[in-house]
Amino acid sequence: MTLTAERGLRLLRPRIRRPDAWLGIIVVLLGWEAAGHVLTDSYVVAAPSQILLYLANEWQLMLRALWVTLGNATAGFVLGNLAALVLAALASAWPRSERVVTGLALIVFCLPLVATGPILRVFFGPGNGPQIVLAALAVYYTTLIPLLVGLRAAPDSWFDLVRSYGRGRFSALVHVRAMAALPYLFTGLQIAAPAAFLGAMVGEFTGSERGMGVLTIRALRALDVEMTWALATVATAVAILAYLLIGALARRILLEDPPVILAMPTQAVGASAAWRDTGLVVLLVLLAWAGAIWLFDLNAFFAKGPIDVVEALFVDPDAAQTRAALGKALGETAMFLIPGYLAGLAAGAGLAMLLTLVPALSHTAMPLAIALRSVPIVTTAPLVVLLLGRGAIGTITLVAIMVFFPTLVACLHGLRQTPGQIFDVFDSFAAGPLTRLFRVRIPAMLPAFFAAARMAVPASVLAITVAEWLATGGGIGSLMALSASLSDYDMLWSSVVLVSVLSALGYALVAFVEQHVLTIYAPEQI
Amino acid sequence: MTHTPLSRRNFLTAGAAVAGVSALGFKPTLVQAQTTVSLQLSWLHSSQFAGSYIALNRGWWTEAGLEVSLLPGGPNAPVEPPVVSGTALVGISAADYTAAAVAEGAPFKILGVAMQKNPFVIASLPANPVNEPADLVGKRIGMALANTPVLQALCSLNGVDINGIDIVPTQYSAQPLLAGEVDCLLCWETDLPVAMTMQGVDNLTMLMADHGYSVHSQTYIATEDTLANRRAELVALMSGEVRGWEAYRADTDAAAALTLEMYPDAGLDLETQKLQAARQVPLMFSDLTDANGFGWWTDETVAANIETLALLGRTVTPDLWDRSILEEVHAA
Repeated sequence: MTLTAERGLRLLRPRIRRPDAWLGIIVVLLGWEAAGHVLTDSYVVAAPSQILLYLANEWQLMLRALWVTLGNATAGFVLGNLAALVLAALASAWPRSERVVTGLALIVFCLPLVATGPILRVFFGPGNGPQIVLAALAVYYTTLIPLLVGLRAAPDSWFDLVRSYGRGRFSALVHVRAMAALPYLFTGLQIAAPAAFLGAMVGEFTGSERGMGVLTIRALRALDVEMTWALATVATAVAILAYLLIGALARRILLEDPPVILAMPTQAVGASAAWRDTGLVVLLVLLAWAGAIWLFDLNAFFAKGPIDVVEALFVDPDAAQTRAALGKALGETAMFLIPGYLAGLAAGAGLAMLLTLVPALSHTAMPLAIALRSVPIVTTAPLVVLLLGRGAIGTITLVAIMVFFPTLVACLHGLRQTPGQIFDVFDSFAAGPLTRLFRVRIPAMLPAFFAAARMAVPASVLAITVAEWLATGGGIGSLMALSASLSDYDMLWSSVVLVSVLSALGYALVAFVEQHVLTIYAPEQI
Repeated sequence: MTHTPLSRRNFLTAGAAVAGVSALGFKPTLVQAQTTVSLQLSWLHSSQFAGSYIALNRGWWTEAGLEVSLLPGGPNAPVEPPVVSGTALVGISAADYTAAAVAEGAPFKILGVAMQKNPFVIASLPANPVNEPADLVGKRIGMALANTPVLQALCSLNGVDINGIDIVPTQYSAQPLLAGEVDCLLCWETDLPVAMTMQGVDNLTMLMADHGYSVHSQTYIATEDTLANRRAELVALMSGEVRGWEAYRADTDAAAALTLEMYPDAGLDLETQKLQAARQVPLMFSDLTDANGFGWWTDETVAANIETLALLGRTVTPDLWDRSILEEVHAA
């Protein structure tokens, strides 16, 4: 392993050895402790000592809840990632299917939790079904996208080698693509770990006897600040452990340097093929939607099909009112969503670059960054809103947090993908760190950055709808929750369709920008 | 829909069950000793439903040949879909939610009313109290925007101008009141005020039901189809409920203790549950229930409900309420 690669890998490993790293963390903890004692009357923050005391008293309850939620999260994590592997293999072995597969996967990923939860509960009945499925839904997409990028991250010469042995596409998949995709897979898995936990917790909101999500609701309602923070601490600790574990596994397995990829640009897909694939995705979604309602015999009272939604939006006497309500809610949501999304991207990419320039910072910054992201949004949403207010800043910050961490991880990984040989060239010219950053690392990072930016579209929509639903009470997230409680399922399904379509369009917009940027900087990975 | 003889899913499950049972050498017609049904609760397990826990714990349903499972609710668990789709025989709803669902085409009837008085209150602190609706003018009230029609109805009923009240959208928590962000909260008598009291914060509540806001809460709902075809099960379920809630009233502390015993993973605090259980009693029991039995209503209370529901934008008729099951239960 070269020195550069070694340094790159270390960025993902918040190993705390040096005294200055401890110092940073101790300062943070002391500040937190002080805040906990000063702000007692506002019922917002619990100090670390109070959290520890609570955990010492209630460790059995916490352990039982953790056991349940962790079990569901793990089952969902495994199922979701397996689904991602299968879909990625399918798209890779049969490239013409890729855009249809990713299109369908995107639409399913964009379905808002507020709406899918109750339907999964009716479908599965009592038990852990919804928790596991929501955990799986929360992870499969963030694994699929990096995987697809990784499956292309191999030099053409390797494929030539496979062909020269007279082997076909399958051998290329197993021997070249799978190996090239491994680093990307591990990145995806690291992002997936906290997401699975969040999915399992939100699943418990659909009616569960036990688990961390149940306790969180209880704690928030009971004004039990210690319990709320203790739950957030335990959930965060688990997510960080999972993150570190996957990171450690990755370091044991990934010993190769990233290869230099000097390939010809692949053939651009014609516009007509793109339209055909989009049409196919829409058709398949409509068929699956109507088909599922018919096959599982879902009651028309709450299961609305495509025709019902069209009627609700355009035919019914109150269609104009429905459209106006949706438009107003979407407008409110967009006002916070877009700044939050952009701020999260900028913060993620910016911190990744900063950590590359000043690696010493990563000792304090990485653990904090992981912690920040791992705190489940279910508990953070009300807390962030309490701390920063119900206005723009609180909501935008929440969205930014959700976007920031996957971007940071992806960008760090992208920055690492710089081939060592290129640095050798820059070494021979005695280029400074800034020159390296701008000339080598940033171009090498771009594919991963854009993959993160695409994934962040549905993630940010998830963040804002959860925040609106649980904390701020505005926008489309709150409209969906309200529609469900008032049995206005026409409105609920119309919202689901709009949110999914708009998320997919946002995704397509990012992909469009990506296409243009990568044509210049990384033509082999378009 | 609940009992469609040949719906696709039922057909498949029934087929599998018959195949399984025949394979074991039983005749399917004999497997009738215990009927399994579900009661869909409207929230997480707590002493809010302790009457049902008593019925379950003392085996009153089992005696009647009914195996009842109590399905917990939650923030993302609307009651209506499981009842409509037959997952639950009966659900715990409220008159306003039921009216909304019926307007959307759900064939629901209200079989019983657990909370005679609606639990909505305006909670405030003694230094800046809200004792009557007129006190709301000039105050900042923290509530979910979704509940604006509720506040509007209270104002209309009491001749208060809602424009004089500053509505601050907040999440469902007492924190904004304690932090001084608002002067009062729109919440339930049995949750946020209890939480404040347990935190040692003196507070007072103005029950909206005492100022004309008449909406039956914690109502038992079932579909018309269930009501027509599964009467025996409904009577058995409701008679267990009636017995359970009478026992609850007799000793709310024991009911709270049983709640913790049965649901140790719900993260409940015994003292909080005792207080919640006690504060629920005046909402559930009245002269009316003393005279006629738990869950009862009269034409007058239904008329008052219809009036308040109209203020909430819901048009309903008295036949939303069906007392035939309760009459059978209380006649026995």
